[in-house]
Amino acid sequence: MAKLTIYHLFILIAVVYVLVISIFPMIYMVYGSFTNWRLGLAGMDWVGVKHYTDLAEDYRFYNSMTVTGFLTALAVPIEMVLGLALAQLMRVKIRFRRIFRTIFLMPLFCAPVAVALMGEIIFYESGGPVNSVLNLLGLGNFPWRSSPVIAPFTVVLCDVWMWTPFCFLITLAALEGIPRELHEASVVDGASSFQIFRSVDLPMIASPLATILMFRIIDTIKIFDIPFVLVGGGGPGIATESITIYIYKIAFRNFTLGQAAAISLVFLAIIAIISSVFMRRLRRYYV
Amino acid sequence: MSNMMDRLKSIATYAFILLFSGFFFIPLFWMVVISIKNPIDQFTLGFVPWLQFEPTLRNWEVEGFGQAAENLKALMNSTIIGLGSATIATVLGALAGYALARFEFKRMKNVDILSYFLSLRFLPPIALAIPFYVFMQSIPVGTSGLIDTQLAVILIHGSAFLPYAVLVIRDAFKSVPVAMEESAFVDGASVLRVLTRIALPVVAPAVAAVFILTFSFSWNEFLFAFVLTSKNAFTLPIRIAESVTAIGVFFYALSIRQLIAVIPPIILGILVQKYIVSGLTMGAVKA
Repeated sequence: MAKLTIYHLFILIAVVYVLVISIFPMIYMVYGSFTNWRLGLAGMDWVGVKHYTDLAEDYRFYNSMTVTGFLTALAVPIEMVLGLALAQLMRVKIRFRRIFRTIFLMPLFCAPVAVALMGEIIFYESGGPVNSVLNLLGLGNFPWRSSPVIAPFTVVLCDVWMWTPFCFLITLAALEGIPRELHEASVVDGASSFQIFRSVDLPMIASPLATILMFRIIDTIKIFDIPFVLVGGGGPGIATESITIYIYKIAFRNFTLGQAAAISLVFLAIIAIISSVFMRRLRRYYV
Repeated sequence: MSNMMDRLKSIATYAFILLFSGFFFIPLFWMVVISIKNPIDQFTLGFVPWLQFEPTLRNWEVEGFGQAAENLKALMNSTIIGLGSATIATVLGALAGYALARFEFKRMKNVDILSYFLSLRFLPPIALAIPFYVFMQSIPVGTSGLIDTQLAVILIHGSAFLPYAVLVIRDAFKSVPVAMEESAFVDGASVLRVLTRIALPVVAPAVAAVFILTFSFSWNEFLFAFVLTSKNAFTLPIRIAESVTAIGVFFYALSIRQLIAVIPPIILGILVQKYIVSGLTMGAVKA
C-alpha cells in the first residue's frame, strides 16, 4: 500500500468533484438509455436496445450527422487556413501590430449566442446591412437564413468569424517560437520566402497546427449555440440541425430522455473515437 | 525592381490585414452604431453619428434602465455564476495542478491523471446536460430540486472548466524553479504552508489568468445554462437568445443586450492576452 500524502488529497478533491458532478450522472444515463425514461414522469420501464435499433431508421439522426459533418468539414479548414495566413502576415514587422492583434482577438471572447445574434442583425434579409449593400450593388436580396441551402453556409460564416482568431493566435505564437537563426541561415542560402515557409516554418509548427485542428474538429462537432439561435433551432426545417440540437430537442421538447440518452451515448462514442487518436498525440506534452 | 516588388508585397500585406480587421471589427462596430440609432434609422446604412444619423441614448435608457429588471437580473446571475464557478475551478485546479507538478504518483502515473482531466474536455456537453438535469431535479429541496438555481449552473460550470484550470496551473508550477519550496520544506514547513506562502505567489499571474478565463467561459456558456434555468437563474446568453423571438426586429434592443454580454469578456480577454495561448490549448502549445 503506497503511502497516502496530502498530494493525494489535493488530486482527489478535483477528481471526486468531477466524478460526482459529471461522470456518475452519465453512468445513470447509460441505464436510462435502455428504458422508456421520460422527463417529469416517475417510473422507468425496461425497453432493451429499442432506442439503439430505432436509430438505424431515424432519418433525422442521419440528417444531423450529415449537417454536423458538413459544418465541420467546411468551417474548420477555412479557419485553419485563414488563421495561418493572418499569422504569417502578422509575423513580419508591421505598423499598429498590437492594435490589429487586439482586433483579431475580440471575437474569441464574444459569447457564441451573441455572435449568432449579430449574424441575425447583419444578415437580416429585408433591410439588414449586408443585403442593403448587395441591393445598392444591384444584386438583390440574398436569402441568408431563410434558404435551407444557404443557411448552413451562413452558420459556417459566423463560426469562421468566431473561431479564426483562435487559430490565428495559436499559430502566431507557434511561428514566433521558431528560432531566428533558422530563418537567417535559409536567407543566406538564398531560399525564397515561400521555400522558407514550406521547408522551415511548416515543419516547425506542424505539431501546434495538429493541436489546433484537433480542438477545432471536436468543438465544431459539438456545435449548438450558433445554429440554435441564428436560424431558430436548426432551421429552416432541419437544414442546420446539428447532432447536439437534435438531442436537445428530443430530450427537452419531446421529453423522451431514454431516446435522447441513447443518441447521446452514440454521439459520445463517436467523439471518443476521434479524440482517442488525438489523446495519444497530446499525452506527449504532459510527460 | 526588387524594391518595387517589396513595396507591392507590403501593400498587399496591409490590404489583407485591413480587410480581415474589417471582417472582425465591423460587426461589433455595427452593434454599437445600431444601439445609438433611433429605431426609425435602423435599416439605413449610415454609420457616422451626427453626419449620417442623429445619435440618441434613448435606447440605452429604455433597455439599460427602463427594462432593467430582467437585464439586471441576467447580469447579476451571470456575474454570480461566473465568480462561483471560476472560484471552484481555480481553487480545485490549483490544488490538483500543484500536486501534479510537484509529486510523482505511483499507482496511477501523473500523465494518466492529466489525460483523465484532458479527456473531460472532449465530453459533449449535451451528454452531460441530460443526466445532470435529472440529478439536480432529484435533489430534495423545493418542488423541482436545484433546477433554476444559480448553484446548479455553478456546479456544472465548475466541473466543465476545471480541466483547463488543472492543466494550465500545473504548467505554470512546472515552469518555476523548486529551490525556494525545497528550502522551506527543510525548515519544516507543511505542504499547505509552502503552497500558499511560497509556491502560489510565484505563479499568481497565471492563476489570475485562469480565474479570468474560466470566468469568461462561464459568462459565455449557453447550453448548460439554457437547460438548467428558466425564470430565476437565467444568464445573459439566455436573455439575448430569448430576445430574438420576443422583440423581433427591434435591433436596438438586441444590440444593447448583446453589447452588455460581450464587452466584459472582451476587456478581460485583452487583460490576459499573455496567457490565452496556453490557456485555450490547455498547455499543449506554449506561447
